[in-house]
Amino acid sequence: MRPKFFTTLFGILMLFPFIWMISSSLKNSVEAFATPPTLFPKAPTLENYRNVFRALDMPRLFFNSFAVSVVCVFMQLTSSALAGYAFARLNFRGKNAIFLIYLATMMIPFQVIIVPLFIEMRHFGLIDSFLGLGLPMIASAFGVFLMRQAMLAIPRELEEAAILDGASHFRLFFSIALPLCIPTLAALTILSFMSVWNAYLWPLVVIFSPEKMTLPLALSNLHGENLTDWPMVMAATTLAALPIAIIYLVLQKQIAQSFLTAGLKG
Amino acid sequence: MKSSLWGFVGFGKGLHGLVHHLLGGKQMKGIKKKIWAAGIAGALIATVGLIGNPTVAASKTTVNFFTFTSVPDHVKDLAAMVAAFEKKNPTIHINVQSASYADYFTKLKTRVAGNQTPDTFELNYENFVTYAAAGTLLDLNKASKKDVGFKKSVYYGKAYDVFNLRGKQYGVPSSFSTVVMYYNKDLFKQAGVATPTAQWDWSDEAAAAAALKAKLPEGTYADFQPTQFWEFYKVLGQAGGKFLSADKKTATFNKQPGINALNWLVQKTTSGYTPTKAQMGTLADDAMFKAGKIAMYHSGIWLFDAFKDVPFGWDIVVEPGGVTPGNHFFANAVVASAKTKNPEAAWKWAKFMTSDPAAVKIRLAANWEIPAISDKKALSLYLSKTPPANRAAVFEALKNPVTPPVIRQQNEMQDTVNAWLEKALNGSVSVIEALNSAAKDVNAILAKE
Amino acid sequence: MLAAGVLSFTSWDLLSPPEWIGFNNFKELISDRDFLNSLRNTLVFIAGYLPLVYFLGLAAALALNRKFKGSLALRAAYFLPVVTSWVIVALLWKWILNPNGGLVNSALSAIGIQGPGWWTSKNWSMISVIVPSAWKDLGYVMLILLAGLQAIPPEYKEAASIDGASKRQILFRITLPLLTPATFFVLVVSLINNFQVFDQIWIMTTGGPEGSTSVVVQQIVKNSFEYGHMGYASAMSMVLFLIIMIITAVQIRLQKRWVNYE
Repeated sequence: MRPKFFTTLFGILMLFPFIWMISSSLKNSVEAFATPPTLFPKAPTLENYRNVFRALDMPRLFFNSFAVSVVCVFMQLTSSALAGYAFARLNFRGKNAIFLIYLATMMIPFQVIIVPLFIEMRHFGLIDSFLGLGLPMIASAFGVFLMRQAMLAIPRELEEAAILDGASHFRLFFSIALPLCIPTLAALTILSFMSVWNAYLWPLVVIFSPEKMTLPLALSNLHGENLTDWPMVMAATTLAALPIAIIYLVLQKQIAQSFLTAGLKG
Repeated sequence: MKSSLWGFVGFGKGLHGLVHHLLGGKQMKGIKKKIWAAGIAGALIATVGLIGNPTVAASKTTVNFFTFTSVPDHVKDLAAMVAAFEKKNPTIHINVQSASYADYFTKLKTRVAGNQTPDTFELNYENFVTYAAAGTLLDLNKASKKDVGFKKSVYYGKAYDVFNLRGKQYGVPSSFSTVVMYYNKDLFKQAGVATPTAQWDWSDEAAAAAALKAKLPEGTYADFQPTQFWEFYKVLGQAGGKFLSADKKTATFNKQPGINALNWLVQKTTSGYTPTKAQMGTLADDAMFKAGKIAMYHSGIWLFDAFKDVPFGWDIVVEPGGVTPGNHFFANAVVASAKTKNPEAAWKWAKFMTSDPAAVKIRLAANWEIPAISDKKALSLYLSKTPPANRAAVFEALKNPVTPPVIRQQNEMQDTVNAWLEKALNGSVSVIEALNSAAKDVNAILAKE
Repeated sequence: MLAAGVLSFTSWDLLSPPEWIGFNNFKELISDRDFLNSLRNTLVFIAGYLPLVYFLGLAAALALNRKFKGSLALRAAYFLPVVTSWVIVALLWKWILNPNGGLVNSALSAIGIQGPGWWTSKNWSMISVIVPSAWKDLGYVMLILLAGLQAIPPEYKEAASIDGASKRQILFRITLPLLTPATFFVLVVSLINNFQVFDQIWIMTTGGPEGSTSVVVQQIVKNSFEYGHMGYASAMSMVLFLIIMIITAVQIRLQKRWVNYE
């Protein structure tokens, strides 16, 4: 069982930054800058968390980030699954060309299109609104690609049996393809959530009103021009990372369960 | 994100494909219903967000103010200023929008490009020429000339004039700051070296550094001054040189004064008075001073509060001059958009925020930079605070300001010069070679101004 | 996207309207030392990062595919760096690689070697970014590969082991080949994403020292927002886009050779 030993050892190493982040958030300002740095705070304090709540309107920020994330993730999952299936199993004119165009959208750094996108949103009067914030994030080429790969990997025999029974693509999609792709869907949920939750550049540029800000934006405002309260930033960052960690933990269990039950009854 | 349009296409194609091969009507209705429900839910959430947009009473004029200096520590102080202003001017509402300094210019430029320039916003001196030259800023002379009670002498002389370009006044100064030399009294005592005075020059500083290095333990540094653009142009001033020619068409920093200036900076690192980046490791320079590892420390006056509770005695002194004294002059200003619909209201706010006694009082009480006003009595509030004891050094420094060289392509020039200074510091090229190469590159930039 | 293409033929400082200048941006690019340097650095980054992150992610996915006590907790542990922001990961790795008494250099000096300057050194800066990047992202690769592994019907493996195949043979003859769609995905997406690497460079080294870690997207950001050369930056992004597109197209072409769909 040597692999297991190394895996566990490495796993503890992987936990390091998270532990570091939490521990730093619990240190008072003197200990935070001590050299050499201590792993666990000798005098843990919740003062940094209190400062975060004093400096930022956390409930509102969390709500904003959640609202945008939930809606966008749902839209991304739906569009990715449907489009992924279309690319994997359907045949239509220009399929490969369109797929390449999808991929192409991933090949241009966002920093370059941010200004044209801003101007476009201004045309529609969507600056400083949630709709303007979420619209560019409702689809994901990455998600389409991921689902396409997952669906391509489904053994054709399963589908052939159902087709013989007279099933439509629709039935195939919902009864066979989708259930078999649940692990991938779970992975996509986590990744989509992460990307929308942590989205920074677009919210920065399109949101003006403080009450519409999302969490990453507000976090960045904790950095002053010359000075930054690092322990407080650590506390805020810990809080911001929690939802993703929780979602991952929840979904990991789902994957394991579904694997046991999906069974493959042919 | 960028694939939203194609997302629609894919979504549509997927749906289309499925519907096309449809056989089971009942199932479709069920699924379609779910999709519609989700879509409506999403739209509802979005609409609530849209509607939740507070509207301002129709009779008021709204003026936007985009700021970076209030974030993160002075949000409440700015709110207090806004409240005081709105009380005096009940028909004007100031809508504050903020971003951290690191993000500020990205956001600002995007807004300008998208024709959403804020009515009023802040600029620091280094960036103001870029925006003024492009026609983004409002000439405030129109409004200020109409304003009977306004006298430009309410501002600290040079601070008002630096924001004037070709006869047009593009901003009013909101604050200024400078760089001084901090020194650790305990370390000086430990090494038996006399502490710095306002009469020091480079040779005194060099002698002290050598004496300190001889006596202080390993890991403690005698004289910290980084080799980069902002220090370089000031040290150049101390060496009696000028960065650019008077017509701003040629770089003149590679002449003898420039060589002396860069040598002065580089030898601090090669002699071991200033740590190299590797020696600093993960510690920032202010953290090192705080930890008692630096004896003489050239840095900004914004660190006074950060050093309030250090366990050793410290004070500041005007930076020693070279051939002549010279000190940094940094200033921020409130500017207005050339396209604002409310130029009068914008002027009122700019004037208030930067010079009204009520605003000045809030600023001084909150330790929020030094207001750029000339009223000595008001500023005495600043002088009376400690630490450090020798706050007078700040105003001493302002007697010999070295303003940064500012051109339209400011960032490009700074980055180019910094790249060559770094090479000189690391010893990859000689000082003279670095300066000549930098001058060549800067001249190329100036040709495109 | 199209706007970026059009913009690459203009000169635009974002403050005044754009000006059409035809191919001038592209002509300038060819001789732009900084751009070419950043292109080279980006390629070096990918060459070091990609194999590292894939093999680490694969090892983790294979090890954690079975359900044993604590496997779920370990999966979460491996994924946590993905979820942690670069600000923190950078701080952590700078502490580990601190040239002034950090973990690695202290260990090295204990056996008599003077550790390099890591991110402060021209020669070691790239490695100082590659290793933390691979370490941070391996959980992400693991996630995708795990999903792929879990989609492999266990009957295939069972049948093979009944037939007398060794664990190694099962791995190389069945598991890995059936994993190729997921592998293909990881390869294509990682290449596309990491040609655009930026965040960690910006946070750890800001492209230094002396431009040794400057990457293409950093040049784009500098030129667009800081220098007000939006047209030039767009031209850069067009060149980058072309490079990525060609490499991806080649990969897609080649997929028939080694990717097993059923």
